[in-house]
Amino acid sequence: MREVRDDLGRTVKIPRKLDRAISLAPSLTEMIFAIGAGDKLVGVTTYCNYPAETASIEKVGDTQTPNIEKIIALKPQVAFVSTASQLEAFTKTLEEQGIAVYVSNPKNLDEVFKDLGQLGDMFGRSAAAEDLVISLSGRASFVRHQANYHAEGSDKSVEKPKVFVQVSKEPLFTIGSDSFLTALVEQAGGVPATKDVPTAYPKLSKERAASLNPDVIILSDSDDNREPNLAFKDSKAVKNGRVYRVNADILSRPGPRLVDALEEIASKLKEKGK
Amino acid sequence: MQNRHILSWFVLIVSLLLALLLAVSLGSERLPIFDLSDSQAAIFFDIRFPRVLLGACVGASLATAGASLQALLRNPLAEPYLLGVSNGAALGTMIAFVFFEQFVFARPLLAFAGAGLATFTVYQMARSRAGMNVERLVLSGVIVTTFLSSIIVLLTSLLDAARLRGFTFWLLGDLSQSTMNGFYMTLAGVVIGTIVLTSQARPLNLMMIGERDAMDFGVEVGRVRMIVFGMASLLVGTAVAASGSVGYVGLIVPHLVRLAIGSDNRLVIPFSAIAGAIFVVLADTVARTAIAPRELPVGAITALIGAPLFIYLLKRS
Repeated sequence: MREVRDDLGRTVKIPRKLDRAISLAPSLTEMIFAIGAGDKLVGVTTYCNYPAETASIEKVGDTQTPNIEKIIALKPQVAFVSTASQLEAFTKTLEEQGIAVYVSNPKNLDEVFKDLGQLGDMFGRSAAAEDLVISLSGRASFVRHQANYHAEGSDKSVEKPKVFVQVSKEPLFTIGSDSFLTALVEQAGGVPATKDVPTAYPKLSKERAASLNPDVIILSDSDDNREPNLAFKDSKAVKNGRVYRVNADILSRPGPRLVDALEEIASKLKEKGK
Repeated sequence: MQNRHILSWFVLIVSLLLALLLAVSLGSERLPIFDLSDSQAAIFFDIRFPRVLLGACVGASLATAGASLQALLRNPLAEPYLLGVSNGAALGTMIAFVFFEQFVFARPLLAFAGAGLATFTVYQMARSRAGMNVERLVLSGVIVTTFLSSIIVLLTSLLDAARLRGFTFWLLGDLSQSTMNGFYMTLAGVVIGTIVLTSQARPLNLMMIGERDAMDFGVEVGRVRMIVFGMASLLVGTAVAASGSVGYVGLIVPHLVRLAIGSDNRLVIPFSAIAGAIFVVLADTVARTAIAPRELPVGAITALIGAPLFIYLLKRS
């Protein structure tokens, strides 16, 4: 056994050789697969749909209501969770069963890279994790660099577009100051329209939405979020046809594919309107 | 006596106008009184104005439904929520949302159907050979309410996460999804409901003495009961379809009205409509502005004001 520190600063005892783990968050599942340790996962949530191999892994309920009996029956050495707050009793029960609970909750791209490194360390996949982080952070820096070049480079007249990210159409939810997407939009070369609104995913007043008049609207693509809210009907984004759908999974999971989201947003921001 | 009523009408209507005026002048965005720009006009006429009007109709509907159910059942605790009417409407709306999203009228129609079905079930359960017993009725209401709640919980569990978030807000009562269409539908409901229920005020007054006594006076008790149940279902159905479950309005508002002007239903029912409108319009103004530009669900505000006030009223009586 050895001791490691998780994202909440808790000391967690994990076995030196980790072969059986479960993940209770799709972002963690993606991270573990990305470092090449997917074969060590014996249980994931019903939300875990990427990569395709997750389909054949046992499902242990969803992130909010995991099935504790099933988890114990799978005999994992470690359960990886994204938050410990709502799972206090759950954590205690698992620890009593000798199952370590490790909290990984990255809040931005750099923390994703850091956590990938830590996971690599725990699963004995340090080299793979390091390569991955180098490649991901290389792609991310390229986007950041380009975004800044566009805004501050040769053509000073180009202003950064004001970007509204619509998480849900009705009721209208968006991203706030605490969301990693706010930082991501900034890195992609945009100005997040709601970056000063408190919390991560606030329900925004439609009056405010209408007065924001964003240049670009990004829709987190899901069944009930395919169009911008009616409050945006007169916005520049709608008039100029600059409304884009981005896969909700890559937008909502602070995992390796956040770099895909960064690239996709950056490329949308470079597009010209009609 | 008559003068006092004219004064009450006057005070109430002026209060409603003031509440509406206050509500349309406050919001997360500051708007000038004159010379609105195009976008400011859109904020005012497309977003704020319909929402305030819808809030008024929802408040009027719920308070009127509560006032008449309380008169009919001779129980001041009778309330659309307690009797399962609201939950029936909520379930109807949810089914409309999940299966018939493309039809505009599915929501209010199924909400009305759900409310009516819940009322009918409660009524059938409560009926016994000895006639209608109030305790039985309230108990049946509790059973139907909890049964419907569990179906709602089951349905929300089956919906995906994004929809679930919308519904948790909606179940708490949320006026942010107001449109002029929603307003017209609720307005139609509230006009028909209030007029019909006020027309039943005299028999309801007699029935408050006792159903047998009312029959002796020639009141068709069964017919009055069907009308009240039907109209209350219509009112609650249209209100819930437009704004989810805004709680405590049907309980608190008629109480306050009776406290102010006594228990004559010819006044209690229409006064409750206006007072209910004032209550929800003001509560929603708080919901819209307290943590702007974020928003609270209006049902949380009405419950926050309603629950302590209700406890106080209960202790006093």
